[in-house]
Amino acid sequence: MSDHRPLPRVRYLLLHAYGRGGTIRTVMNQANSLVAAGWCVEIVSAVRRRDDIQFPLDPRVRVSTVVDLREDAYTPPSGLMGRWRDRRRGRLLDEAPRYIPAGEFGYRYFNRYVEDRLIAYLGALTDGILVTTRPALNFLAAEHATNGVVRVAQEHMNHGTHKRDVQKRIRETYPRFDAVAVLTERDRDEYEELLPGTRVVRIPNAVHSLDQVPANPRAKIAVAAGRLFPQKGFDMLIRAWAKLVETFPEWQLRIYGSGEKKAELRTLIEEHHLYNHVFLMGHTDRLDDELAKASFYVLSSRFEGLPMVMIEAMSHALPVVSFDCPTGPADVLTHGVDGLLVPPEDPDALADSMAKLMADEKLRADMGVAAVLTASSYGPDAVHPRWEALFTDLHGQRHPSGAAAKGQRA
Amino acid sequence: MKPHAEIAEVWPRDGRIRLVGRLHGLPSDKAAGPAVTWRLVVTRRAHPDQRLRYELRVQGDRFEGELPIADLATADHAAVEEWDIHLSDGAAELRAGRRLDDVRGKKQIFVYPEQRTGNLSVRPYYTVKDNLSVESRTGGAA
Repeated sequence: MSDHRPLPRVRYLLLHAYGRGGTIRTVMNQANSLVAAGWCVEIVSAVRRRDDIQFPLDPRVRVSTVVDLREDAYTPPSGLMGRWRDRRRGRLLDEAPRYIPAGEFGYRYFNRYVEDRLIAYLGALTDGILVTTRPALNFLAAEHATNGVVRVAQEHMNHGTHKRDVQKRIRETYPRFDAVAVLTERDRDEYEELLPGTRVVRIPNAVHSLDQVPANPRAKIAVAAGRLFPQKGFDMLIRAWAKLVETFPEWQLRIYGSGEKKAELRTLIEEHHLYNHVFLMGHTDRLDDELAKASFYVLSSRFEGLPMVMIEAMSHALPVVSFDCPTGPADVLTHGVDGLLVPPEDPDALADSMAKLMADEKLRADMGVAAVLTASSYGPDAVHPRWEALFTDLHGQRHPSGAAAKGQRA
Repeated sequence: MKPHAEIAEVWPRDGRIRLVGRLHGLPSDKAAGPAVTWRLVVTRRAHPDQRLRYELRVQGDRFEGELPIADLATADHAAVEEWDIHLSDGAAELRAGRRLDDVRGKKQIFVYPEQRTGNLSVRPYYTVKDNLSVESRTGGAA
């Protein structure tokens, strides 16, 4: 039956499809849109540590696992060969991977056993399209998925953030891909320069919905969101707010998210006597509702890939004040139109720009309207057809006589 | 909704806990009539007959007052004592709290710094019902 399908099967390889990260959520959004458009989609989880998928996933999307690491998933085989295999598995699970550079942020999730099983899986793929979603998986696919599958490497973090050893492997292995997909214009420029002759496409991630409640520009609430982690720069944001609090005593700053830096941020709030104005709100399951209560969004990150919560905030008609950090804000925002871009890691400049918005309700309202328009190009309907077009095109190049070459559908 | 004292700001600084807020839900003549004197009342939860009283500045429905934390050092202080905050005009007694905003779970979100007095550590906090109380703990003094 599958021989007569007009569209090739698309397989997404994730490190852990059962986790909660932004890459996982984005890939599931893509899979949902593709399967709704008639594609045959499979999500392959390199490892599995949990029972359930954490994001909404269309039941037509097939999910499979290469190495199941759940406690009760493994039954040691019996017999002499079985015992030998079991000992070998145990040994390989403890050994460092051979092909993943130590600077890959996901390095600790890999070992020889996972690596061997992934290599075997990748080598067995002979058809369809394989999308790998982080550097470690891209490296393995570049070298081992060589039996006919069309290969696409996704990069969810900006190039400059990768460690040296990862950047080196990127230069060595990414030219073997049919396409490398990045999130921002700046990254496309960097990768094109790095990988001459390789097809580099920029396809941003999509927000989950554009059908959002607009915020009220009269609200005296600023909102930020993200893991309480140095990358997000909430320490700089709190210092910036300390400069504004006397001029704008009626305003609140609400920071959503949890993380290991919570106690330090709390101490910073207390040092600056901001406990009546700056609040660590914790994790929320209803970020949409909370965004809609504010009248502008602040992004204080030291670096990003493409900050999706910022774009989600814009879909609620919130203007943005953002550090011009690598990468994303400058791709999305037009300074003075839908937000204000601020020199990176400069709390004084961040305070000045926030003050500008806080002092001017009309500016917030006007920029909020522009923000909705900007966000609309990151909606699922704007973004996901670009994946379809890319896959159709790549498959057509590989199989010029096939029906898919013309992008026809049943 | 019963009348209450809506807290806007809590300032635990310089050996005091200063409170700023609004009287909420009172008939307008009750709030600020010249004959009415509102006081801040701090009640020891374990001994409700023990109450500390302080002057309040009231203007319209806005009030402001403060509690010197050294006053919480009682001779028979248990390891942990809790003190509930009310406003009183002699007749009506209004519980202090924060009930008019949208924030759920204030106990974890509106968190205030701890101050020391003698061997006590004192910290204002919101109860699970969003009322304002003060906790004092013995031990840990420098």
